[in-house]
Amino acid sequence: MTTEREPKSKASRDGTGIKSKEALVIGGGVAGMTAALDIANQGFKVTLVEKAPSIGGVMAAIDKTFPTLDCSACILTPKLSEVAHHPNIDLLTYSEIKSITGETGDFRVKVHKKARYIDEDNCNGCNDCVPVCPVELPNEFDENLGFRKAIYAPFPQATPHIMTVEKKGEPACRATCPAEVNAQGFITMMRHGKYDEGLEIFRRSNPFAGVLGRVCVSFCEGECERGMLDESLSIRNLHRFLADYERMNEVAPVVAKIDKKDRVAVIGAGPGGISCAYQLAHLGYPVTIFEEREEPGGMLRYAIPEYRLPREVLDEEIQRVLDMGVKLVTKTKITSIKSLQEKGFKAVFVATGTWQSNKLGLKGEDSEGVIHAIDFLESTCRGKEITIGKRVAVIGGGDAAIDSARVAIRLGAKDVTMIYRRSHVEIPAIPSEVQDAMKEGVKLMLLTSPMELIVNKGKLSGVRCIKMRLGEPDTSGRRRPVPITNSEFTMAVDNLIIAVGQSADQKGVQTDVECSKWGNAVADPITLATKTPGVFAGGDIVLGPNTVVKAVGHGNQAAISIDRFLRGVDMMEGRAKHRHRVQSYEVDKEGVPLDARAAMPKQGVDSRVRDFDEVELGFNEAMAEEEAERCLGCAVCCECERCVTACQRDAIDHNMKDEVIDLHVGALVLATGYKLFDISEYTQFGYGKIPNVISAMEFERLINAAGPTQGHLLRLSDGRKPKSIGFINCVGARDVQKGVPYCSRVCCMFSIKNSVMCKQHDADIDVTVYYADIRAFGKGFEEFYENAHTRFGVNFVRGRVGGVSQVKDNGTLRIQVENTETVKLMEIEHDLIVINPGIIPPDGLDDLAVELSMDLSEEGYVDVRDTILTPVDTPIDGVFVCGCADGPKDIPDSVSAGSAAAMRATIVLSKGDE
Amino acid sequence: MSKLDKTNEHEEHTPSSSFSREIEKEPGGADIQHCIQCGMCTASCMVASVTEKYRPRKLIQKILLGMREEVLTSELPWLCMTCRQCEERCQEDVSLAEIFHAVRNIAAREGYIPVGVQKVVDTVMEDGWMLKDGYSDFIEDDRDDLGLHTDLGWNNEFVKKIKKRFIDGGNKK
Ligand SMILES: Cc1cc2nc3c(=O)[nH]c(=O)nc-3n(C[C@H](O)[C@H](O)[C@H](O)COP(=O)(O)OP(=O)(O)OC[C@H]3O[C@@H](n4cnc5c(N)ncnc54)[C@H](O)[C@@H]3O)c2cc1C
Ligand code: SF4
Ligand code: SF4
Ligand code: SF4
Ligand code: SF4
Ligand code: SF4
Repeated sequence: MTTEREPKSKASRDGTGIKSKEALVIGGGVAGMTAALDIANQGFKVTLVEKAPSIGGVMAAIDKTFPTLDCSACILTPKLSEVAHHPNIDLLTYSEIKSITGETGDFRVKVHKKARYIDEDNCNGCNDCVPVCPVELPNEFDENLGFRKAIYAPFPQATPHIMTVEKKGEPACRATCPAEVNAQGFITMMRHGKYDEGLEIFRRSNPFAGVLGRVCVSFCEGECERGMLDESLSIRNLHRFLADYERMNEVAPVVAKIDKKDRVAVIGAGPGGISCAYQLAHLGYPVTIFEEREEPGGMLRYAIPEYRLPREVLDEEIQRVLDMGVKLVTKTKITSIKSLQEKGFKAVFVATGTWQSNKLGLKGEDSEGVIHAIDFLESTCRGKEITIGKRVAVIGGGDAAIDSARVAIRLGAKDVTMIYRRSHVEIPAIPSEVQDAMKEGVKLMLLTSPMELIVNKGKLSGVRCIKMRLGEPDTSGRRRPVPITNSEFTMAVDNLIIAVGQSADQKGVQTDVECSKWGNAVADPITLATKTPGVFAGGDIVLGPNTVVKAVGHGNQAAISIDRFLRGVDMMEGRAKHRHRVQSYEVDKEGVPLDARAAMPKQGVDSRVRDFDEVELGFNEAMAEEEAERCLGCAVCCECERCVTACQRDAIDHNMKDEVIDLHVGALVLATGYKLFDISEYTQFGYGKIPNVISAMEFERLINAAGPTQGHLLRLSDGRKPKSIGFINCVGARDVQKGVPYCSRVCCMFSIKNSVMCKQHDADIDVTVYYADIRAFGKGFEEFYENAHTRFGVNFVRGRVGGVSQVKDNGTLRIQVENTETVKLMEIEHDLIVINPGIIPPDGLDDLAVELSMDLSEEGYVDVRDTILTPVDTPIDGVFVCGCADGPKDIPDSVSAGSAAAMRATIVLSKGDE
Repeated sequence: MSKLDKTNEHEEHTPSSSFSREIEKEPGGADIQHCIQCGMCTASCMVASVTEKYRPRKLIQKILLGMREEVLTSELPWLCMTCRQCEERCQEDVSLAEIFHAVRNIAAREGYIPVGVQKVVDTVMEDGWMLKDGYSDFIEDDRDDLGLHTDLGWNNEFVKKIKKRFIDGGNKK
């Protein structure tokens, strides 16, 4: 614009309406830093907001500056520290603008400060945490050429001089595990072969790595992000491996540290009760578990068959909990909660489960030959002799039905049929269990329901069934089975096992607290507190027959509540789940090769149907390692907390939350800089496809002493020293067809600088710059260009390059160019091609413009009010611009603009009341 | 961006011969003045890669400099294969193939058609196709195998019709 625009507000003219004498600078590159310092040095307070973890911008990543070849970092560092320590500058890094309202003199700004999980005051950037972090990823600061950790400072002089943890939230696996097992965490440890640490991470959430590793329904695997690519991780089998590995090797010692006074009683030694005791013992509470049966484990011991869960595994995992100081009293049926409280237990957790088999409600259900699943399974688990006939039918489709059918096969039944009302999809049992049952000979009779039991002389002889079809969905969302008329048929059977669910004992101890009409205890879904103070309930007794992992989750949550209850703290506070779940689009899956999940080795069908030996044999180390390698590390930081242990200043807080900061400022300076054109759009140059074609920014990192090669100029593809290098100018600049018609102003000079740097590294390297015309317009630029040619011996060829191709296996590249001075069309070979990308507006500038109701230029830059007379004023009063935010600039021009913008901003501020 | 940087008024800074203005008026010729002589077109041109005499940039330069006679009488504009690789890459969006097409039209109007090209045109006009003598027994057999007509005599009729309608001025409105 060359004509003055109508200013949007008159406030700055006379000082009325200047309500804040503070300024805000957005963007912490060299221009923004200069503006902030100049404002601050005039005595005004200024907030500098930067979205990256450190200020410094692109200049911090540049190796040398043209035309003087000063070390960029060396010039910048004093400035970085001046900004960091200036009493008038408030530095907000890792932060972005959320909203801007108001007008000159009176802007209200909301800043979104992302959690960096580091206490900025405590962290001193000592780096102790970095080497221990197991998560490695490409370092953006090194143009992804090198690596950094999940906890990192982008470069040695990063300012503020503190770490940042990159954590996107909670990965799907953890978010969907009812026991909140940190799957990404233990899997990351497994990738490093650190099985003991993986197990330790698992055990933070519950004691059942081996048990859940065998019987869990694996909600996590249903949601695992890897499933979006090929197949989900075999998470369950991985933590089973951790437990198996420990059993075969060194067992981690158990620490018993019961140091609290308040005694807690747990009724029921099932997975829910034991998990609750485990967590409370961790916290130091003395816990006693009361169990009606002879041994602990609940359904795990008395319902789930041994071929799925060997009892040694169960025994050992429970024993570890007891070793922590948890007391177990078996063969003791508790009949009154009050009596426990009278004995001095300050809190009680009821986890008695659901043990009454539901009835079919058909006549003849008590005749000989009809068995209820839970009784059947419990008897088998107890090793009682059971005789079973040749033909067995099992009614139901849940775990108990599948288990009963498979047990019947092992007890010698020849013909076992499972009768289920709905279709294959609705079967609630674990799918792999269903498949295994079928392999063992169990037949599935789907969409069928029993109508009548045929009894002969008090003994069952057959069952009459009817075929069903699926109708409309019912309240559970599953389609309701509807009988098909005239489809009845009769089946001769010797035994019928009824497995149509379990219910709570209507006279059980839970009835001391409020119960539902089915006899389930009523508990708050988050705290699990019942209506009776100090009494909590969880697991099946609350949920009805459910899963081990949900019972474990309830045990954990109840333990948190009990601890808070005993300490007299609000039980609810901060409990509602609000952690951000990492979304699919946030996980970069590009370039990850497809790979099927590891298959579980199993005992052969012939041998396994004859006994109760474990069917699934577990992964071996190689399989586990390979499977762990498939994890995508969705949240980046895996919350292993190794860094927390390594940090001696207590500076890492993994529970930190994002914050919104309100600012009230009188003037704004936009210093959002630029980004580089994506040169892979020029397919003829092969960037991103041909390994030895790199971008200028990558080159800067490559020759930087602090870069990925410690400053050695090497080809990353093969580590060879290039003998001949070509630089291609004007790529993504001065290109009408690509929407960037303007000159980038700096690429000519940085290509000359980099060509000279090549020569300084090794004078024997043959270096050529291909250009359309050289724009050396600044102070000393033309001389520098001249020197590059005459003193350093860089070749300059006037002519834009047509294309680059790889011609030899050794990675040699060939370019076509017309030397427009000689009219010669040449094909020239190089070992390395450096493409000099043009500058384009940065991401997010358009959003800022919307916040400010400000139009951007056609190319997407900030439009200044008058190029000649007010080159740093935007069309919005009180808003100024500097650096590349309004178009490409080199460092000196950006700094000058920064100072100018600072002056323009303080003119506004100084008009405010004293 | 400042106004000065993004000005589109290239005319002020480029040679503007009357010949280039003439081309500018032809369809597809509009952007010729934007050429900055960078050489990208030559570097991308496959004709240029096989014959030294053909340099698309040079040809554009001659037009810009107004070397009308030299360009129109030259056979070079006739060498462009219209693959448009140069147009694809030209960062100034110059439509070289269109421009050369326009040049050929003007040249033809003024009677400058290279002998070779003229011969080809004549043959086609005469025979209806270029390689009549190449129609061998083999091709005849091939056509037969494919179930196609082997007698190409209908071609003469067809050529006559075309000539009448488009060249001898028949059917003019
Ligand atoms: C055959 C079968 C197979 C299953 N398979 C799976 C599976 O593969 N995966 C899965 O996730 N889930 C499975 N389940 C479900 C799972 O077992 C339960 O969800 C889980 O055990 C519930 O744990 P809990 O602690 O609430 O109760 P329970 O395991 O039922 O434990 C309760 C304990 O309390 C004791 N107790 C009861 N009353 C008293 C009292 N008054 N005083 C003292 N002690 C008392 C009981 O004896 C028992 O030991 C299966 C269930 C069955 C029946
Ligand atoms: S918790 Fe673990 S993964 Fe996360 S930053 Fe710390 S060491 Fe790295
Ligand atoms: S890929 Fe890894 S981190 Fe992501 S959901 Fe699956 S197990 Fe969790
Ligand atoms: S306990 Fe179950 S849901 Fe949780 S991680 Fe293990 S397999 Fe997944
Ligand atoms: S500075 Fe040079 S290389 Fe960059 S766009 Fe301008 S002319 Fe092209
Ligand atoms: S590529 Fe375009 S701008 Fe470059 S010389 Fe050819 S026509 Fe001119």
